[in-house]
Amino acid sequence: MTSKAFFVELGKHLAVFAALILLWEGASILGFIDTILVPQPSEIWKGIVDLYFTRGIIYWHFGITLYEAAAGFAIGAGLGILLATGSALNDNFARYVAPYATLLNVTPGLALTPIVIAWFGFGYGSKIALGAITCFFPVFVNTLIGLTRMDPDTSEMFRAMGASRRQLFWKLQLPAALPMIFAGFKISVTTALVGAIVAEFSQGTAGIGVLMQRFAFQLNGGAAIASLLSMSLLGLILFFIIEIIDDRIVFWRRDARMTAVSRQKRAAWARMRT
Amino acid sequence: MSASDQIDLPKGMAGGASTRRILFNHLAILVCWVGLWEIGSRAGVIDPLFFPRPSDILVGFWRLYITQGNIWFHLGLTMAEVVAGFVAGSALGIGLAFVVGLSDTVRRFLKPYVVVIEATPRIAIGPIVIAAFGFGWTSKIVIVMLVCFFAPFVNTLNGIINVDRDQLDMFRSMRATRVQTFRKLILPEATPEIMAGLRLAMASALGGALVAEFIASNNGVGKLISTYTGNLNMASAFVCVLTLSAVGFFILRGMEWIDRWLVFWTDRERTEAVGRKRAQRWQKGGKL
Repeated sequence: MTSKAFFVELGKHLAVFAALILLWEGASILGFIDTILVPQPSEIWKGIVDLYFTRGIIYWHFGITLYEAAAGFAIGAGLGILLATGSALNDNFARYVAPYATLLNVTPGLALTPIVIAWFGFGYGSKIALGAITCFFPVFVNTLIGLTRMDPDTSEMFRAMGASRRQLFWKLQLPAALPMIFAGFKISVTTALVGAIVAEFSQGTAGIGVLMQRFAFQLNGGAAIASLLSMSLLGLILFFIIEIIDDRIVFWRRDARMTAVSRQKRAAWARMRT
Repeated sequence: MSASDQIDLPKGMAGGASTRRILFNHLAILVCWVGLWEIGSRAGVIDPLFFPRPSDILVGFWRLYITQGNIWFHLGLTMAEVVAGFVAGSALGIGLAFVVGLSDTVRRFLKPYVVVIEATPRIAIGPIVIAAFGFGWTSKIVIVMLVCFFAPFVNTLNGIINVDRDQLDMFRSMRATRVQTFRKLILPEATPEIMAGLRLAMASALGGALVAEFIASNNGVGKLISTYTGNLNMASAFVCVLTLSAVGFFILRGMEWIDRWLVFWTDRERTEAVGRKRAQRWQKGGKL
């Protein structure tokens, strides 16, 4: 797409957006929409200005929720990869982990919220733990499937060349599994955020979840929606971080990155030869 | 497409020739765990206040299900919320996706909003809905509805978008009407994707109802769990959680079963079975 066509497209999108907002605002002013239920756009805008600029209180809470979600994700995803790798490498290990993993999957992780809070206290620990619990399974199952679903021809080839178990893992299983693992990451990074926020709803003194609940119960709809939009922003940030890492590591799936990396490697190789 | 909503682990982990021995081993390990836990708890290594003893949990099952029998009411209420919200939300999602998805223009302008909504933690809207609809179970149904709306909506849209262009051209060149194109091409092509969306929605529906009950409610399993935990009656809280595990298991299995029944053409055995049945009916002279 040329840049001019892009701007035309963007303009159209913005026009539609503006029209929607105007329609919404008009309907609210005329009383077609209950403003307690769905605050009008100008109220939401006021909430955003207040939270981000006038009082600027959102940054602190934003940072805390980001920290909780990221830490929960790191722990949950780490455990998921560890157990899945163990299961993929050893059949016995897999056999005895599987039923418990399934049990954890069918239990709605969020149901554990009060129990986790009793275990880990009212501080950040419980939010991180709930995030870890909710994001464990997607990573676990995706890693496991990625590692066990080898291309039979390629693994035959590896065996024929006399590859060791370790070579098979590092050169075939892991690279083949990476796209799948990252797909799991993308799901679980949002669920970690959900875990952190839900724990904040239940008990907490700081974080966007706390902020939003407070505004909602004050019937300050504009500010509540502004916090909700901040959560979307947080979700997008986390998602894009994973996306960027995905792009860096699993470079062979996108043509542009593939060419760039292969050019680099070729240059390095040429330097080595001279 | 990811596999995160499936509960079956890859083949080779399930039983093989000596299934009975493996089952025995599993049971032995489970018994060992539970025994160690019980002993550790009695010896004072594990604090029974926070990590209830297995025997206490068993007693809790007896109490909640039989002596007091109070879990039935709460479970029924929560399940009613889940089912009502799921049906309303997914019907709305699929219906709306078909309405907007069949037009190219609308779809293009809708896309940015879908991206933003996908990144938003759906359950997060809970407090706002509760503030608007009150503490009763209307608000819970609305929350479950919202949680269940997006996955079927987005998947249905995707299913419609991913219909094969060549096949569409083919239908057009055969002068199929819009209704025919929809019924014979778009709907069947989109069904696997829609079912995947429904499975995701169903998986999150239970969580949505529970969270709504945690935030503010008088009844329901979520309320039961938070009350028991608040009283540090952990054994009963565990009973509730284990009950929910069982419910979750049956829900996922049920959805899988419906999926297999409805989307028969992705599974070879089922395709053959359905094909045989249809061939028989055709030979008898009935209509296809």
